[in-house]
Amino acid sequence: MIELVFAIHVVGLVGAAIAGRRSIQGALRVAAIAPAATTIWAAESLLSGREPVSASMTWVEQLDLELIFLADSFALMMTLLVSGIGALVFVYASGYFAVDARGSIRFPVTLLGFSVSMLGLVLAESVWTVFIFWEFTSITSFLLVGHKLSDPSAQQAAWRALMITGAGGLSLLAGLLVLTDDVGSVLLADIAGSQTASPLAAVLVLIAVGTKSAQLPFHSWLPGAMAAPTPVSAYLHSATMVKAGVVVMAVLGGAFVDSQTWQWLGLIVGAATTLWGGFVALRQRDLKLILAYGTISQLGLLVTLLAVGTSKAVFAALSIVVAHALFKSALFLVVGEIDIRTGTRNLDELAGLHRSMPVAFVVAVLAGVSMAGIPPLLGFAAKEAAVEAVLKLSGIEQVVAFIGIVGGSVLTVAYTFRMLAGLSRSPEDGRTITALAFRPAMAIPSIIVAGLGLVGFVLLGTINGIVTPAATELNAGSAVYELLRWPGATTALMVSAAVVLVGSTIGAAIHRSETATVLGEPEPVAARVSDASIDGVLRLSRRVTARVQHGSLPVYLLTMSATVVIAAAAFLPAVSVTHLEWAETPVQLVLGLAIAAAAAAGVQVRTRLGAALTLGAVGVAMSGLFILQGAPDLALTQLLVETIVVVGFVTGLGHLARTFPPVTQGWLSVRLGVAVMCGLGVVGALAASSAQPSGSFPAADLLRESVETGGGNNIVNVILTDMRALDTLGEVVVLAVVAVGVIALARTSRSPGRAQ
Amino acid sequence: MTIGLLIAVGALTSVGVFLITARSLSRIILGFALLGHAVVLALVAAGGEAGEPPLANRVSAETIANPVPQALALTAIVISFGLTLFLLALARRQQELTGDDLVEDDLEDLRVAQ
Repeated sequence: MIELVFAIHVVGLVGAAIAGRRSIQGALRVAAIAPAATTIWAAESLLSGREPVSASMTWVEQLDLELIFLADSFALMMTLLVSGIGALVFVYASGYFAVDARGSIRFPVTLLGFSVSMLGLVLAESVWTVFIFWEFTSITSFLLVGHKLSDPSAQQAAWRALMITGAGGLSLLAGLLVLTDDVGSVLLADIAGSQTASPLAAVLVLIAVGTKSAQLPFHSWLPGAMAAPTPVSAYLHSATMVKAGVVVMAVLGGAFVDSQTWQWLGLIVGAATTLWGGFVALRQRDLKLILAYGTISQLGLLVTLLAVGTSKAVFAALSIVVAHALFKSALFLVVGEIDIRTGTRNLDELAGLHRSMPVAFVVAVLAGVSMAGIPPLLGFAAKEAAVEAVLKLSGIEQVVAFIGIVGGSVLTVAYTFRMLAGLSRSPEDGRTITALAFRPAMAIPSIIVAGLGLVGFVLLGTINGIVTPAATELNAGSAVYELLRWPGATTALMVSAAVVLVGSTIGAAIHRSETATVLGEPEPVAARVSDASIDGVLRLSRRVTARVQHGSLPVYLLTMSATVVIAAAAFLPAVSVTHLEWAETPVQLVLGLAIAAAAAAGVQVRTRLGAALTLGAVGVAMSGLFILQGAPDLALTQLLVETIVVVGFVTGLGHLARTFPPVTQGWLSVRLGVAVMCGLGVVGALAASSAQPSGSFPAADLLRESVETGGGNNIVNVILTDMRALDTLGEVVVLAVVAVGVIALARTSRSPGRAQ
Repeated sequence: MTIGLLIAVGALTSVGVFLITARSLSRIILGFALLGHAVVLALVAAGGEAGEPPLANRVSAETIANPVPQALALTAIVISFGLTLFLLALARRQQELTGDDLVEDDLEDLRVAQ
């Protein structure tokens, strides 16, 4: 069944690419079919309560690399959100791009590509599957954020998102490697059940979660990503992609139940992020940025709860995931509609929106009330669960979590209040906003998701039927919990009432002083720091490239030779001279010295004839040494080859310069130094290796094999033409290629103009 | 291994490296040829002590020289011969096109660096 889901998406990708050539609207509508079908499948599977289906595909058999998927309750809940909201976003986007008459393949295909990547991530059951789809979401997100190619700020935001989430991907890979090494299994179920509590893995995974889910100090890419078209923001940066970190944290959480590092790092970062995000959201004027920082705040809340890791906290986290996906995507969709129809997202210019765009305003209120956690909406029930989870804790853990969750909630109420109050304010000069015509394709999806927040509260049993099994999947103790429509006069309710009261007071105060602007727009310090570090990395890479890829052949060769010297240094400890004798025969020493002398003469050689003499002398002396060594074949070959090369040098193949240019002085000492070191390195390596001979060679076996199998008496020849016949064939081919090359170069010589 | 052979290998390597890092293509060719000699000699020297030629019908197993490095060295000689010839042809071509045999810096690489 999972295979079918992916197959439908592949068909959708092809269909969208074909339809996109004619119009972007058509492509988006075609693309909506795949997620819509997936939503129906996920809903049906959840309600029927069947055994979870799984799928696996061998990828690289030798590396034991498999793509493994499992549609358990948690995966199905996330699938419902990813594909359900996805389908609506595709419909919405077809309205968003209504004026864009040109056909476009890029946007629909990338958005659907993102959708299927996210689907793969939530359905993944092995760590490598998680990693691969995690990276896919980073890449597709990069493409979507940078969709407006002509907008430099969008390009910069896309780079920032890619760099930060890409670095997080590396951290995730390292963390997963540590985990699989500790646990000895690549299956998420085994890892979650292992309770390995490795602090290193905890830190690495949390860094990855922090980059993807925009936690401090990695949050700066998320507000920048608002440069993307609003459907992208609604889909990736509220409902799905930013939840990828949370999803990984949730499924791996079981392994870290006992890890102090995991709990405290997650708790502190999460609590700090939720407070900071809420505080910055209060100071924004751009509706999209209010929502972006609000998302950071909500993600901090989720990280806090998952770091706590108790059964109640996990249950509350998943409830918030569902509620947040609904209200935040509704708000983004509405803001996009306001932006398209009025041409602005600035809160100051949108006073009186409730008159000019009543439907959009009602949707914003519905979603906003859910976001603030006020009944009768789903956000209320979810937030109650979170507050109760915190009240069940004890000690300093409770204090930190309480500050984070209650403080974050107060700020959430405040910025929601300020936003809604700003939209419903009467314009001072009595002018009304001129809005373009109502677009059903944009309005209906936002009405559906916002309405689901209300319907979900009314039909809370259905939501419980989805969230409770999913939470049980992650933490067996969650089975007893359910969301309550009215908890009764509990402590949690008192806390919630106080949160709403304090939050709306703050929101109202800021709303009233809006024109005076007490706080002012915040400086995007984090964004500037991350941009500067990205620029720094690029500058460094340019400088390194300029240094290592300088285009000078001598310097390349010098570098390689120097590397050989370093490699030879490994032999230094084993170098010994005691086993060495001067020579086996006096003639050997004489020939050795003759070779050295001839080579030394080659250093200063100035003429073609000199070079040929040097080579000839060395070659002849080599032949002599081969004869002494007992290698007549080598001696013969060497003589023959040397003769041809010397003739080639002397005749210069016709055109070679008769004299060489003088030895250049540049780099002379470096060249001499490296050359001498190379010679010493090779000599040292040989002296070291000959001090520990590996024993005698199997002479008798070679003799017998040569005669009986190879049918020849010359063992060297038998080795070449029989034992290593294929090697020799390759060598012959090389010689043939050289011959063809030499002839080609010689032939074209008379017409240099044509050759160029 | 004997000191006589080591001196020869060391000298060939040093001079070879010195010459291949020159600007003149003719010197580079000479350097490559000398380096080839150094490798072949090192191979043969590493094969063990001198002995009788490895001919099965003439000698006994006790006295023959190690034939395996000889076979490897034979391949090395032939390949370095091919390389030297090809470089000579390239040098000749360069002489015709530019009138000198200097190796210039790679312009494409320089452009990447800028």
